[in-house]
Formats: sequence, structure tokens, C-alpha cells
Amino acid sequence: MSELHWLTAAEIRAAYAARRLSPIELTEALIRRVEAENLRINAFITLDAERALDAAREAEKDLAAGRARGALHGVPVAVKDNIDIAGLRTTCHSKVLVDNVARADAPVIAQLRAAGAILLGKLSLHEFAFGGPSKELPFPFARHPWNPDLHPGGSSSGSGAALAAGMVPLALGTDTGGSIRNPSGICGLAGLKPTYDLVSRRGVFPLSFTLDHVGPMARTVGDVAMLIDGMAERVPAGGYGVDLARGLRGLRVGFVRHFHERDMIADSEVAAALDEMTRVLAREGADVRDIHLPRLQQIAATQRIILLAEAWAVHGKWVRERPEDYTTPTRRKIMAGAFISSGDYVRAQQLRAHMIDAIDDAFRDVDVLLTANGMDYACRIDNPAELARVYPRQARSPFNLTGHPALAIMSGLSKSGLPLSAQLVGRAHDEVTVLRAGAAYERATGWHKHRPPAVREAMARREPARA
Amino acid sequence: MAEPDNTNRLSPELVAAARAAGLDKVLERFPDDIADAARSAAADLADLPPIDGASEPWPPMRIRTPR
Repeated sequence: MSELHWLTAAEIRAAYAARRLSPIELTEALIRRVEAENLRINAFITLDAERALDAAREAEKDLAAGRARGALHGVPVAVKDNIDIAGLRTTCHSKVLVDNVARADAPVIAQLRAAGAILLGKLSLHEFAFGGPSKELPFPFARHPWNPDLHPGGSSSGSGAALAAGMVPLALGTDTGGSIRNPSGICGLAGLKPTYDLVSRRGVFPLSFTLDHVGPMARTVGDVAMLIDGMAERVPAGGYGVDLARGLRGLRVGFVRHFHERDMIADSEVAAALDEMTRVLAREGADVRDIHLPRLQQIAATQRIILLAEAWAVHGKWVRERPEDYTTPTRRKIMAGAFISSGDYVRAQQLRAHMIDAIDDAFRDVDVLLTANGMDYACRIDNPAELARVYPRQARSPFNLTGHPALAIMSGLSKSGLPLSAQLVGRAHDEVTVLRAGAAYERATGWHKHRPPAVREAMARREPARA
Repeated sequence: MAEPDNTNRLSPELVAAARAAGLDKVLERFPDDIADAARSAAADLADLPPIDGASEPWPPMRIRTPR
């Protein structure tokens, strides 16, 4: 068997079924992995080793007795630290909530437990899913496993870093303006922002009520499908992965080229990878055509006004009373909401209705949209100016505004050896088709098999690879 | 000795808006953050396209496709 920490969730399930692996063996291996790698990557805020091992022992007993628990039976999952797990702190990576212990599981966590998942711990994030890397944070910020001098993306930065470093096969993220898809893209992963409200947001600390989404992140599209099956409030017959093997024959793909060629000029390597992706999709049988949506900046600004107004509603009282407990990047971002009027908010909601219609109308002619994910690849984590420049250069937030499902998927490697990424978007509640397209592209290219060179080298120094 | 006035780098209009939002403590301690936040909000508002005032804004989140 290959190294345990690089097993996908699908491989783990197959190994359990064949009695080639036990949940205890796997959980112990991942705990060792987290303890070693977290010193470098800072992906975990809380490692819940003891309870994870208890859950692994239960899973092992059930497997031995032939009692199937669910789609995630014995599969370890880690959780962004703005989602409540009973008995653990939900810090949102902030001094404001550093002692906030959750009394109950968020419903999405209860669902994961019911599906048999082993909860490994809580993951680093941008403060309140909004700030950015800062030395003022109460815990160290997550770093990019391919190169720790780089930013792993955010705000689900620990989720991306933990997956890319082989600490866990599945992770939960949240996404208000792209926070699942950004680290997924930057770290060479697959990450799905599902349709709005497909996954419960109760017990998840809000950033912006009408834009917040909870979703799955993994190293393969198939694993994303498996995790959303364990999280969603509605699961179709056969699960969200029912069409993973179907291929692309007959699928109509609308390429939103103007997002990254005219509205916001992407890095040339990002753009070239998108062009190459259209060729691969066509070669695999898809009908790829250019399609036009409203201008990216207009959609993004509309999303941003709503985000700022709603985030101010959440944080205004604390910012007024204890501004020193927020880091500078978060305080600055949140306070922008104090300068948005009620009229601006309503105007943005008016525009939102039109933009939802525009995207829905586009789906009369195509089944899936292909867009850029980020316009750039990973940048240095110690360069605030570059972080501020790159962060808004993205095509993710439009689909928080409109609620459509959107999948980040690796689309290549830069000349400097860093992951590039694209975004596939589907009709509301049509995650099945988005995942089908992503899985077919993944099979055709194999980009998802790349591993961080820094991790490979560090592991080679520390331990010999298992046979 | 009197506390230094950290707000004198900000325009009177901005100081008034910040005070109206209850940000007195932030004005004292982090006046540059007030300026940054106001700039950021203005930049986003500048990108917002015009819209007919009678357009229906509600419900705020609407999935049109039947479930």
C-alpha cells in the first residue's frame, strides 16, 4: 500500500473493505503526520487526537462486525475552526473567541458523525474567514505545503494546507467570496462551493448570512463527491458522484473568457492553462463555446457591498468595543461595512436579483460554465502588498452572489512548479454535473496526482517510503 | 498631559461618519484603519452599476431552479 497519509478517501474505503487497513492504524499515522508537519505548515489549531482514536476504535469494531455506518465510515475529516464541534474551541482564529468552547455539534458535524467520519481536529483560517496572515493572530497562520514561504490561499487556509501536506484526506471549508476555492486552487486540490443552503450553516460562525456556504475540500473530485454526500441536506439517488465515470460526451461547456481576458487580465500562465483546458474538454467530447456574463467587476462589487454590510452587522458591536482584539487586516476589512449605507445594501440586493437571472439565463444554452479561479498563483506570505493585490483578482465571488455550485480544480503547473486552477460552475442544485465534468478532466490530465516537492523531500529525509 | 489627537489626519467628514457609526474608540487607537476602511468602501461603491430604483430586491437570496 502507498504511504497511508496520501491515501484518498476512496482508497481508504476500499482498503477497509478488503481488510488491508484498520481505522486505528490510519488515524495513528495521520496523528503522527500532523504532529510532524504542523510545525512547518501550521494547518491545525486543535488536534483532537484522543477523541479521534476513540472514534477509530469504534469504527474498527463496527467494520469487524460488518456494521456499515455510512459513506465516511472510518474516514478522517478535519474541520475549519469556524464550525462548532462539541467540546472543542471554535476560535475563528481570533483573540475575540479564543476561549469559545462549542456546547453542541453544528448539524453538518452531526451528519458527518452519523456517516461514520472520524473528526481529527480544527483547522486554521483567516481571522473570522475574512482577515489574512498576520503576526497579531493568536495562533500561527497556515503556510503553503509546496513552499512554506508562500500563502496557501484563504480563508480556509488550514483546510488547503492540511490536505496538500497529506495530514488528512478530507476537510471542511467555508466560502463567502471564494474561501474554499482559493486555497483549493492555490494548493492544487479540488474544492466545492455547493449551491446556497445545500449544506446547513447552523453552528457555523457567520461572516455574511446570504453569501456564506459550507463545503467539501479534498485531493480528488471523487473524494469531494464522497464528502458532500455526508454533508448535504439533500442527496440524490446514487449520491453526488453518480455521474463521475460518465465522461464528457455531449456536455455543453460555456467558457467565460472575458472574465480573465478583458475584465481582469490573468497571469499569462493561468490564461494558457485555461485555453489548454478547453482543448482537453473538447477532445474528451464536450461542446465548448464562449459565453458572456455581466462584467466581472460589477458582479464582484455587488457581492462585496453585501458582504461588507452583513459582516458589519455581525461584528460591529465587537469592533466598537474591543477593536484591539482584531488583527489589523480584519479590522480594516470589517470596518468598511460601517461606511456602506442601507440604501447601498438594498441597491446591491436589487442588482443581485438581476445577476442571478443572468447566470440562470446562461444555463439555457450550456450545462457547465468554465472560468478562471484565481487570476494568479501562490504569492509570498510575508508580502502584505502583494497579498492585497492578488486577493481580489479572482472570479469566485460571483457565484457566492448567485448561489450556483462552483468547483475549483487543478489545471496545471506554473513554470515555477506551483499549482494552477480553474473553476467549473453548474446550475443551482446540479452539483452532479459539475463533479462529472471535474472528474472527467481530472482523469484526462492527472494533475491531481502531483505532490508538494517540499513535502516529498522532507519525508524522504525523515522516513523511508512504505512499500 | 492631554491625549494626542490621532484623528487630525482624517477629514472632518470622515471623522463625523466614524463617530456616527460608533467608532470613537477605533478613531482614537487606529485612525489609519478608519481611513483605509472608508477608502475600501468607496472603491467598491464606485464599481456598483446603476439600477432602476423600483427593481425588486427581495428575497435577498433566490434559487430559481426548482429543487
